[in-house]
Amino acid sequence: MTAPRRFRSARRIPAALTALAVLALAGLFLYDLAAVRAGRPAMRWRRELAGQLERQTPSDTAVLVAGALLALAGAVLLLLALAPGVRGLLPMRAEPGVRAGIRRKAAALVLRDRAMEVSGVRSVRVRMGRGRVGIRATSHFRELDDVRADLDAVLATGIEELGLAHPPRPRVRVRR
Amino acid sequence: MLGAVNRILLGLAGLVLLAAGACLLTGSRPLGGRHAPLLTAEARRRYGHPEGWWWWVLLAALAVCVLLALWWLLAQLRRSRLPALPVDTGDGAFALLRGRTLEAAVAAEAGALDGVAGCKVALRGRRDSPALRIALELEPHAVPADALSGLADSVLTHVRTSAGLAELPAEARLEISSHHARRVT
Repeated sequence: MTAPRRFRSARRIPAALTALAVLALAGLFLYDLAAVRAGRPAMRWRRELAGQLERQTPSDTAVLVAGALLALAGAVLLLLALAPGVRGLLPMRAEPGVRAGIRRKAAALVLRDRAMEVSGVRSVRVRMGRGRVGIRATSHFRELDDVRADLDAVLATGIEELGLAHPPRPRVRVRR
Repeated sequence: MLGAVNRILLGLAGLVLLAAGACLLTGSRPLGGRHAPLLTAEARRRYGHPEGWWWWVLLAALAVCVLLALWWLLAQLRRSRLPALPVDTGDGAFALLRGRTLEAAVAAEAGALDGVAGCKVALRGRRDSPALRIALELEPHAVPADALSGLADSVLTHVRTSAGLAELPAEARLEISSHHARRVT
């Protein structure tokens, strides 16, 4: 019963998009350079680009904007490369031979159904975080303190029965 | 495996873009300073004339980029499902177990567990190291921990012994379809 590693996304979609962008850019330049080598004139956009590059300096606004966009895109890609992703899946306690996770929404539904079984509770909203879970209940009869005590007990067993690797701390609020 | 490759390549691309952006913003090293043009006449003279070796290096680098990007893109589209699995029959012969059959058997057995509404299974990995990926749909009032231990104890042990595998690592994702809250009165 050791805590398992977090789930890590394979990052298929960002990888596919980046690969597509590199492919398009490199392919375009390759085609154009090869055409120039074969004695044909360069495409117009490349002559314009070279002209612009000769005129613009790093103090121009357009260059600064382009630099900021490039740096931002780079930071996003780095974040995608380093962050584990799959935040919607809560890791469960390891059973022999299985690595399991439960969807955050599913865990929230389980806790909501449990909380609705407490008498005096009319409606419940559950916000499932990865380290804590917020439960807001409205009550239409019974003493609020009694309802709260019952809710605490029910939610403690409910969280235990989710079988999570890191059980979240519940925070219960009850209102009329 | 694919995840590691994707993350390394994404990280490299991110570093390159970040460095290029920082260069443009500060006008530092490869550029000539904040008030020098991005493409100087000297650079054009050095790299621009058509007989230099520089062109061939650039063309080769671009061709490598195109091939690498094409391979990387195609790797994302491939689904790694295992079509069949060799099973040791015990008399020196081997039988082939079709992946679909194994998937259907596991799905049926897991679907019969208490509190499980539905189950989808995919056999992945390679022939010498197969792995299962299981999507388990629970019923609203199921106990997730019990469903998982039922899956691990009975279903997965059973599939390991019946396919004669010493190890069959599995990854399970538990899900519950959304439904309205019902108050007990």
